[in-house]
Amino acid sequence: MKLFKKPYFLILALAFFACEDDFLSPVPTSAIAADTFYANETELLNGVINMYDGIQGVNALDNSDSRLNHAIQIEFYVTEMRSDNTRTKSSEGEAAQFENYTLRPTNGIVYDYYRSFYDVLNRANIVLANLGVASEANAPKIEAEAKFVRAYAHFNLVRLFGDIPLADRVIGIADTEIQFTRVPKAQVYELIVSDLTTAIASLDNTYKNRASLAAAQALLAKVYLTLGTNYVQAQQLCEAIMGSGFGLQPNFNDVFYTENTNEIIFAIGFVSNPATDSQSFSAEWLNSVGRSSGVNYVTTEAAAALDALGGTRAPFSYRLDPAQPTQRQVAKYFPNGENGGPTGVVFTSNPRAAGNDWIVIRYADVLLMHVEAIMAGNNSTSVQAALDSFELVRLRAGLLGDDDGTITKQELLDERRVELAFENHRLFDLIRLGAAQDVLSAFSAANGYSFNSTDILLPIPQREINLSRGMMQQNPGY
Amino acid sequence: MKLIKQTRKKHKLYLSLVFLMIASIALVSCDPSLSALEFDLPDEGTIADATPPAANFSATQSTIDWRMYNFANFSTSATTYAWDFGDGNTSTAIDGVNTYPGEGTYTVTLTASDALGVTSTYSEIIEVVEPEAVAVPDPIIINADFDLLPKSSGSDCSCAGWINKDIGDQGESSSGNGGSNNVIKFDNNEPDHIYQEFEVTPNSFYTMTVVVAFQGSIGGSYPSSLELRVLAGSGYINSYMPTYYTNTVDFPQEDWGYTSISQVEMAANNLLNETIVHPNNTSYNAYTFIFNSGANDSVALFVRGIGGPATGGAGGNFGYNSGDEEIRMDSVTITANN
Repeated sequence: MKLFKKPYFLILALAFFACEDDFLSPVPTSAIAADTFYANETELLNGVINMYDGIQGVNALDNSDSRLNHAIQIEFYVTEMRSDNTRTKSSEGEAAQFENYTLRPTNGIVYDYYRSFYDVLNRANIVLANLGVASEANAPKIEAEAKFVRAYAHFNLVRLFGDIPLADRVIGIADTEIQFTRVPKAQVYELIVSDLTTAIASLDNTYKNRASLAAAQALLAKVYLTLGTNYVQAQQLCEAIMGSGFGLQPNFNDVFYTENTNEIIFAIGFVSNPATDSQSFSAEWLNSVGRSSGVNYVTTEAAAALDALGGTRAPFSYRLDPAQPTQRQVAKYFPNGENGGPTGVVFTSNPRAAGNDWIVIRYADVLLMHVEAIMAGNNSTSVQAALDSFELVRLRAGLLGDDDGTITKQELLDERRVELAFENHRLFDLIRLGAAQDVLSAFSAANGYSFNSTDILLPIPQREINLSRGMMQQNPGY
Repeated sequence: MKLIKQTRKKHKLYLSLVFLMIASIALVSCDPSLSALEFDLPDEGTIADATPPAANFSATQSTIDWRMYNFANFSTSATTYAWDFGDGNTSTAIDGVNTYPGEGTYTVTLTASDALGVTSTYSEIIEVVEPEAVAVPDPIIINADFDLLPKSSGSDCSCAGWINKDIGDQGESSSGNGGSNNVIKFDNNEPDHIYQEFEVTPNSFYTMTVVVAFQGSIGGSYPSSLELRVLAGSGYINSYMPTYYTNTVDFPQEDWGYTSISQVEMAANNLLNETIVHPNNTSYNAYTFIFNSGANDSVALFVRGIGGPATGGAGGNFGYNSGDEEIRMDSVTITANN
């Protein structure tokens, strides 16, 4: 053939070689690539642990790049500091936007939390996408664990931001439609309920720092209470946990300084060493021990509530700042259990590499959810089962059960506030029980802050709005 | 290059032409009829508001006082607000708070305006009602008097509405207590039962009264007893959703929430488990029991004759049989304890 005598042949041959797959996207030999990593179950289990690593977030001590995700370590900013429980020590900077209700869509902490939990969602979806490599026996368990984490992340995001993009699968760079379409809350909750139902079917109570049956049951109960529907199922879920061998620690202080006790249902695990698995919030809550001058300081309102209603819980919940006795600090998460001595700032271990676990769900929360489920959206309840659960929580605090045999919604809110103070429950409790506007507008007026009802939701981070090129609408009021 | 040279040559001519043009432009621009059309700035309001306000709010009853309502303002692109709470009260605050004089229906209107004077209004009708403890309704039991009524298959029966063939044999139509075909009979030495699901209010107390007569004791080694159980809806088979039929003819006779005796006998599923032993008389006696519905909005009543050998009776094999005496039940009444 004449063709072969000419250089056309060479060009043609080159063209064929160039089309080989690994020419343009070679498999790296010195690093792990996500596309090819999940080849067997052991590797998939690394993916499972990777989800919890995402929730842990990065300790700034380990790597101070502000573009990294800090996840659960900064959750107190977007929850507790927007309630009437805590504030910054000196009302300065970006952090003070939370307490005085002047949040801007450009707030870096809000963006950090948003991208952190979408990263967690991505990690969970990667596990789900690679379930095929798991054995038939273990696949349902791994699926259940990933779906629990996915529900947990979606639940946090939907409560904080309202309508949000739904991460029901791995979202690629090109999937801009999914990235920037805010789907209605009801649709997000549908996926959350379905994920948790799947999780409940296959989980057991082996772990406390990973997903468990009781954790999924408690989370689903809270989802139902938040939706204000399925109160009977919420009560059944609480009762299932109550029959699973959990209990209250006799000493309230042990809840926070003895890890993974019988009271803990789900906690994000941290260890003080290495720094990669430690947390920084314990230091941030003290006086210039962390990178800030002091955040998540206790408001006078919260201290007054603890003094009046907390019983023996008060001294284990907050203390006067030894270095600045006009201020009050959270006493539940002293770094590695060290309180800093007489000045509050001297430690033997590195306080910025704290190993205290972050408690997400504990038994006292379940008992009070049990009361809430029985109250079923009404203003009070006199049902004996509710009085019993309520009494258990109060007896531990050196108090008696309800005095008149009727638990009102206000009494339940107060009890939750003093039992679960500074554990990132207060804001969600106020919203869920319909008291957010009443309580926060009064709190704001008393302190000269500028609360409006639109402050109940966080702003969608401005960077997302910008990247969406007009697809994403901001929440009202921002 | 040629053009430039020419220009230079005709410099003077062009200069005068330019002057002439400037003069004419000056004249034209002084003409108010033309300039007004082309170059003047637009008047206020002549360009449409690209981001008009959209009023929106949601109303929630305050937790402090039932007469008080909080209005959360979700308006967009607005700067000033005017609230009309529908009871004569108004406000210009961003979020509205109003205490109503009492129960009633009120139309709340929010007018949101932006700085260009464009307005948007949104109204919602709210009903202010004092929250009261709602009385727990009595549950609805179908064929509670065991009358001869049509069932879904075959002849009429006192057992119509009371059959669950997965966990026992149906009871028989019988007469007694001053009527005819008005009681249900649990045959001796048979696994006869009644079963019906009904709706309840969770965490409520109920009183159940049954009117029962035993056949005279034959003094054998297998005396009959009547066992009554109220079974929790939480114990229904997975994903079972109860249907509450109103006519006996519509009731199916199997595939209910409880499909096995082991499921019935699980302690966690029993809200009530009582046994009536032979009273040593043959009259119709009333027996009263109290149960709490707990975390259930649906429960099932299951009654069976027991006391006989587990196997070897007449009828189906369900692992239980009634003893030596027939038992008759005239009625079951369940009321809420309010």
